[in-house]
Amino acid sequence: MLRYYLKLGILSIRANWALSALMVAAIAIGIGACMTIVTVRHVMADNPIDHKNEQLFHVQLDNWNPNDPYEEPNEPPEQVTYLDATALLEAGRAHRQVISFKSDRVVQPEGDGVLPFQEVVRATSADFFAMFDVPFRYGAGWDAAADRAGEKVTVLSTPMHEQLFGGEDSTGRMLMMNNEPFRVVGVLDDWHPVPTFYDLNNNPYQGPEAIYTPFSLAVTGEWGSSGNNSCWKPPEDGGYEGYLASECIWIQMWVELPTRADKEAYAQFLDDYVMEQKQLGRFPRDLNNRLSTPEEWMVNREVVDDTVSVLLALSVLFLVVCLLNTIGLLLARVIRRRSDISLRRALGASKAALFRQYIVEAGLIGVAGGLAGIGMTWLGLRGIENVFADYDFIQYLVTMDWQMVGLAVLLAIVSALGAALYPIWRACSVSPASTLRIQ
Amino acid sequence: MLKMKDVCKIYRTDTVETHALRGFSLAVEDGEFVSVTGPSGSGKTTFLNIAGLLEELTSGVYELDGRDISALNDKERSRVRNEKIGFIFQSFNLIPELNVFDNVDVPLRYRGFDAKERERRIMSCLERVGLASRPKHFPAQLSGGQQQRVAIARALAGEPRFLLADEPTGNLDTHMADSVLDLLKEINEAGTTIIMVTHELTLADRANRNLFVRDGEIHDEPPELHLAAAATA
Amino acid sequence: MDIGPIWRAMLRNKAGFVLIALQVAVTLTIVVNAFGIIQERAGRIARDSGVDEANTFAFASVLFTDYEREQRKVLIDEDLDLIRNVPGVVNAVASNSFPLRQGGWSMGVALEPGNQTPESVGTAIYFVDEHGAETFDVTVIDGKNFTPEQVTWSLEDDNTWPAYGIITEALGKEMWPDDAGSYVGKTMYINDNDPVNIVGVIDTLQAPWESWTGVERSMLVPQRRPSEFVRYIVRAEPGMRDKLMPEIEAMLAASNKDRIIRDMTTMDDVRKLAYVGDTALIKILGFIVVLLTLITALGIVGLASFNVSRRTRQIGIRRALGATRPSIVRYFLIENSIVSAIGLVVGSALAIGLNIVMVEAFSLEPLAWYVIPAGVIALWAVGQIAVAEPARRASNISPAIATRSS
Repeated sequence: MLRYYLKLGILSIRANWALSALMVAAIAIGIGACMTIVTVRHVMADNPIDHKNEQLFHVQLDNWNPNDPYEEPNEPPEQVTYLDATALLEAGRAHRQVISFKSDRVVQPEGDGVLPFQEVVRATSADFFAMFDVPFRYGAGWDAAADRAGEKVTVLSTPMHEQLFGGEDSTGRMLMMNNEPFRVVGVLDDWHPVPTFYDLNNNPYQGPEAIYTPFSLAVTGEWGSSGNNSCWKPPEDGGYEGYLASECIWIQMWVELPTRADKEAYAQFLDDYVMEQKQLGRFPRDLNNRLSTPEEWMVNREVVDDTVSVLLALSVLFLVVCLLNTIGLLLARVIRRRSDISLRRALGASKAALFRQYIVEAGLIGVAGGLAGIGMTWLGLRGIENVFADYDFIQYLVTMDWQMVGLAVLLAIVSALGAALYPIWRACSVSPASTLRIQ
Repeated sequence: MLKMKDVCKIYRTDTVETHALRGFSLAVEDGEFVSVTGPSGSGKTTFLNIAGLLEELTSGVYELDGRDISALNDKERSRVRNEKIGFIFQSFNLIPELNVFDNVDVPLRYRGFDAKERERRIMSCLERVGLASRPKHFPAQLSGGQQQRVAIARALAGEPRFLLADEPTGNLDTHMADSVLDLLKEINEAGTTIIMVTHELTLADRANRNLFVRDGEIHDEPPELHLAAAATA
Repeated sequence: MDIGPIWRAMLRNKAGFVLIALQVAVTLTIVVNAFGIIQERAGRIARDSGVDEANTFAFASVLFTDYEREQRKVLIDEDLDLIRNVPGVVNAVASNSFPLRQGGWSMGVALEPGNQTPESVGTAIYFVDEHGAETFDVTVIDGKNFTPEQVTWSLEDDNTWPAYGIITEALGKEMWPDDAGSYVGKTMYINDNDPVNIVGVIDTLQAPWESWTGVERSMLVPQRRPSEFVRYIVRAEPGMRDKLMPEIEAMLAASNKDRIIRDMTTMDDVRKLAYVGDTALIKILGFIVVLLTLITALGIVGLASFNVSRRTRQIGIRRALGATRPSIVRYFLIENSIVSAIGLVVGSALAIGLNIVMVEAFSLEPLAWYVIPAGVIALWAVGQIAVAEPARRASNISPAIATRSS
């Protein structure tokens, strides 16, 4: 019977092709508007480290002003001080721990006539690569010993490696940065987490850094942070030493805790650590430590711009208008088809049979609307890319994955069926005798 | 007073010219009850359309109440239809979305009467056709005969000089047809001129004067008519 | 034709009209709120940064070789000398940031010393020398510009704040809201205990963060900072900017090879980048508004056309009963007005509701009083235009259709 209904549906769509095309267009435009924003939001809110979400935790300690929380109502600072970062790293109480910050360095490529350029470098402790499942193409990261020793080693991203050294394995080659030589120990494979969950300050959509160096080396070299840096009181001593000893926050810290028990133990350890520090006259505020999963952290940092939520609300309403339009068109078709319907009823079609016939037809229109909607979404995303052309990271936000394609079709079918319900109900309630009565 | 002289109506499509009326001449005096009969396709409906100002004529002269109609523009023609002519159609042509009261109200609205005057006329007309008790009913809730009575009330509401009836009983059974015709007769006796187009000779006989249309030409009481009437009897 | 019978006829065929009314309602909701956002964003973009944007550009000089502090001071002096002597340059300054850059330095200032004062007011800090005012194109409306003697180099191991400051009028108003007199000569405290004597007041100089609520509050500080990273701001004579940019870049790149010159940008581009989100949002919302209005208009055309074809006979009857062509057109216009009126009333309520939700959830500004009435009139007009063509077709239906047997 389904095949018969499909055939009837196709026949009916062909017979009313203008009306059908209008309905498909209305659904497609609505789906396109909605899915464009949903896609952007989906990419923005994507958790690139989903598979380790329950094991990774962002660390926050509240060393802030006793009179004034870092953020209302009582949010601890989003980064940690050098004092705490290094102490917690040294304690090594988690399965893995990473402290890192970003810094602007000047890269001096080999060869005459090649101009030096500035690049954002991530200075990080050794666990970064293992903890965040960063894939390697050549070589590997450095180990904790190299980190402690402040060895001048570096890891490059594939594009940076290709730019500096061409395609060949560059491990062992030297790279000059700010007049200092670094030995390349590893080259990353393609790795492009969006957003860069491990550091959500500034712009989390720009993608990861292209150069990585050991944390301790950066500190001995007195590198400044090019990310956020906040102090609630001025450093007591001047210079870099004073800065390291200050209550200024500028380092992102993550720990890996494989089990729930590990997490509880670590939370206890943090509490103990802060209580100990209070004895030394630090941490004037109440105990307020946080361990957040990547997902919790992204929600906390509001990686999804309010604007996107506003647009999402408006685009859903937009879809509603398109569906109201579709309902109107379907209703017109039902009224026009009254005699056909009542004839079928007179010939013995039950209400249920009519319902099935029209629902199949609506489903067909939904599928067509969904497929066209994918095209519309693609156009919409190109539009977004176009109006944001001045943001070079926009390309990462306007890509559709299979999940989104599937969602577009599903949403279209659900929309079409939802829109069809009332008109179909009207059609099914046409009485078999009605054509005889109304001329 | 309705007067047509040498009226022609030609329908043109790209390829064909159809002469629906050729040299049609006719005079109807005030207070007459004229029936127009003829086989289908003879030009009856075209005559009715032209007499009722629903279509324009191709050539000839048409005077209504001493006024040359052929020179009028659309707005003036609408006004003449509204004020001087009442229509009764075979399929009643009530507006299904409007109730009885609002249906009768339609021509009065276009006439521009005030609300009080409209209500007075509507109720008096409904009374006249025996439907004063059902102003809130919708056409679908009424029988065919009742619907046609509403249509007659609507035709009378504007107190027109002429009633044009197009197969007024065509969709009714004999009993209802008789009562509708009695009503028309009564209206005619009250002074309204009626032109009734029909193909039923028994009905035509109830008019004061019979006209016969064939091939777009008019004949006053052709001998065939009586022969045919005798044959049916 | 009066409304009564039209309204009663509509009641007999509600579904189609209800759908259009709902469409109009939701459309008004979206259009009005989108317009509110557009208005807000456009208003933000229109604010004056204070800088002579058309003729100003900026760049950074980044040292990548270790220089002693004194060497860095010399380099900055040399650079500024070179730049200021290029023909076509009005003036130039080394500073930490400039308006619209989205990154900068902010500090809290308070009326009393000590870190217990909750009443501190945030302000953007621009470190400049006595050339800062002219380079930023600000007018000292009260007091005086810095004298060369007031400008000092920052010290390596002393964080004491310079004792002089020039503030924007907005900052003064925020600090002394009830004081109608001059801010010149007053003292505020920064860095907890360091006093700042106000020597001058300037009209407009925005903070570097356009989205900050205190964007109009900034302070010029007479201090020069000899770091590896120095930002230069250059104001050119009208029309000279595009010629000077490559010229100065090449000149500085050649004058010292231990640094790179980067981020060479015009203020026009800085503004474009600062407001790219706002501009894009305006475009997206504008597009949504147009597309949506179009879709709703098409819906109205569709329903009206359908009604015309469904009512062909009844229109013929009306014509036969004396309706003129204009009165048939009027029928459809009135019918559409009724549907629109219902939709627009419902839509106004929805629009206000959505606006309240959005104001709460996304801290948007509430709608201006005239936006909803304007939207109502506009959408009503769109409805009338949309229905005009089907109505015209309806008026062309021949009255003779009434005598045709169905």
